[in-house]
Amino acid sequence: MKKILLAGALLGASMSVSAAAPGGPGCGWGNMLFEGKSGLPSHLLATLVNGTSGNATFGMTSGTNGCDTSGTLTYNGSSLLSMNGVLEEVAHDVAVGEGEALTALSVSLGVEAEDRAHFNSVLHQNFEAIFTSEEITAQEVQQNINAVLSQDDVLAKYSA
Amino acid sequence: MALRHSLLISLLAWLAVVFPSFSQAQSPSAPPLVFLAKHERWQALLHWNQGSTLRNRNKSYVADDDFFLSPHGKTNALKELEATVAALEPAESPMRCRFPARYRFLAEQLGWPMAEAFDHCEEYRAWREQVPDNQAVLVFPAAYLNSPSSMFGHTLLRLDAADVEQQGSWLSWAVNFGAVVDDEASMLYIYRGLAGSYPGYFSTVPYHTKIQEYAHLENRDMWEYPLNLDHEEMQWLIDHLWELQDIRFDYYFLDENCSFRLLELMEVARPNSGLLTQFRFTEIPVDTVRTLIEADFVTTEHYRPSKAVELKTLSDSLTVEQRRLAKRLAKTPKYEGEDFTQLTPSEQRRTLKAAYELLRYSQRKKERDAEAARKSIQLLRRLSAYEKEVNIKPWRPEPPESGHGTKMFAVSGGAHEGRGYGQLEYRWTYHDWFDPPRGFLQGAQIEAFRTKLRYNRENQLKLEELGIVDIRSLATRDAFLKPISWYVRGGLERTAVEGDYATATYLEAGPGLSWEWRGLRPYTFATARVEHHSRHQQFIEPGAGVTLGALWYAPKDWVLGASVESLYFARESLRHQAAFTLNVPIATQQALRFEAKHQTWRKGHGDTEVGMSWRYYFH
Repeated sequence: MKKILLAGALLGASMSVSAAAPGGPGCGWGNMLFEGKSGLPSHLLATLVNGTSGNATFGMTSGTNGCDTSGTLTYNGSSLLSMNGVLEEVAHDVAVGEGEALTALSVSLGVEAEDRAHFNSVLHQNFEAIFTSEEITAQEVQQNINAVLSQDDVLAKYSA
Repeated sequence: MALRHSLLISLLAWLAVVFPSFSQAQSPSAPPLVFLAKHERWQALLHWNQGSTLRNRNKSYVADDDFFLSPHGKTNALKELEATVAALEPAESPMRCRFPARYRFLAEQLGWPMAEAFDHCEEYRAWREQVPDNQAVLVFPAAYLNSPSSMFGHTLLRLDAADVEQQGSWLSWAVNFGAVVDDEASMLYIYRGLAGSYPGYFSTVPYHTKIQEYAHLENRDMWEYPLNLDHEEMQWLIDHLWELQDIRFDYYFLDENCSFRLLELMEVARPNSGLLTQFRFTEIPVDTVRTLIEADFVTTEHYRPSKAVELKTLSDSLTVEQRRLAKRLAKTPKYEGEDFTQLTPSEQRRTLKAAYELLRYSQRKKERDAEAARKSIQLLRRLSAYEKEVNIKPWRPEPPESGHGTKMFAVSGGAHEGRGYGQLEYRWTYHDWFDPPRGFLQGAQIEAFRTKLRYNRENQLKLEELGIVDIRSLATRDAFLKPISWYVRGGLERTAVEGDYATATYLEAGPGLSWEWRGLRPYTFATARVEHHSRHQQFIEPGAGVTLGALWYAPKDWVLGASVESLYFARESLRHQAAFTLNVPIATQQALRFEAKHQTWRKGHGDTEVGMSWRYYFH
């Protein structure tokens, strides 16, 4: 039950591709691949007093750019892919065929444990179809992953 | 047990007459509120200072009126308990939703019902449903010592779901206590951090944001220690966490910090653990790890290497030629020269991966660069054409808690120009280059308040040195990474001022270069120094110089160091020094150190000193 909820919330799985980005405009979905420093927390802040700037968050919405974080108790329609720095890690893991980011992505999509190795290998083989350009955004990556999954007999059930 | 119980009841009967709060006792066998107010769990739930730190003695640490139901709650645990009983008892009380752990406590002590107690608390129940609650993990991002602000490390908590082994920890929750900072650029930043003028809050974020923050961006290794909290203890922890939402503490860098607050959470989960019984001036994260290990909270440990360590491991697996190729590929991702194509597919893949990691390493802390992004995806595209392979695992260093204690006391004896002396030394914290390296980062030193008192043959007791701060960071350069080493130190020391020994106040710093080859670390520093002593004609005497030296991290944790240093002051005087140090551990917390140095000033004036000390480490 919990897993299904998570899956839906994390990847906006049932969202139709033309729908407006959830969480408001500019809510991380526009994050480009290799976002760099702008997408990551400030260095000095993070160290001496282990601080955060702005408000401390108490839900799980933090880490996205410009998201509406009212109702901080859920992922608030924001996607794992749209969280800071995640897109780059997923791209790396897809290119090498495994990794923690890829595992987290499969979990958030609700991919069952027995399908995960297959999921990893299908994404690995389709790297070029998913990461079509260095200018690609989180939202486009999600669409491409859905397209790849929908063409696989085993994984089609996990696509939107 | 039965005897204690009946004693309690008879006491209750007697006390009920004396104290009005007894009339509120809920059931005949319920303990009276005056007793309950002193209960370890109640005190833990209120974050009561029972003498653990300097400030807020016999008060709650919480600096937020919203946390208290009684106007006297911050200073009176009994009044707060009475107000809580009154507020939480009604079945539909909204305050139950605000304080589920307090309700749990009262239900347990006063026999209140737990079933359906939170049915009306939609927000709390929705949140509670989401919190992973199978396991709590203590996380220690170790210091990255080329970055001074990370110096003592940090601790946070991770909450895992049941299938964390298969699903990985990326989606686990990180529970972090940190300051909320509004003026990062301000010069007051450090002062405010020390003086507690930043508010501290608990926050929860996905654990992968913490991995990125520490392991990827700051290049700090992370140590993860699963804790043995059982289901019941996890409930206490999580329910109490909810009570801390948007609750303000004051953040003090030294004692009331991230690590101290985590110990408090552990006391809520498992009262009477004795984690907070001792008084402390500081709560150093690595000592927090030790405390929890000694109190039997920790089951095992897991090492998560930083990106820098991963890159170093990858680089070490390549030949010199392949490393050169990787650098070339990072600049020209489409390079197809024969020196690349003749490699085996596995070697090609590893070289491409090194090229990609190198490129990202150089870009990660910068603003997005379109050119670098284009190269990055080209490398990934090429990489994706190869079959998946098992990655080389980085060598796992000794865990931080296996290192020596961070406080140090030493007794030494020696001779200065043939005249004997005895010396006592105390270091408040943390580690120097020569101390046993196990559990610490090699080539990194942070010392604060190093004090040396010397007794000489003339029966004089003199302050030889008061090193307020002494930080040195050897960040070694290799084929891929070219970091700048640096050092800074300041305080009081006896030195040859204008050709005669005197105690001068100084501040010294400089950038440097260092390399590593099989445990040997040669280095060089440029030095800038300002010095104050009445013997100088100017109030502040500036100087500049250069240092050359080498450290050798030998087998069995022996450390050898040799250095030469020249310093020239604005007005003609100069100082040269050659020094040799050998440190030999004789037990986990003990070492012997041999030192020799020769100093010269002016032409033909100089002296020699040799000494030996016994160093005892503790925490």
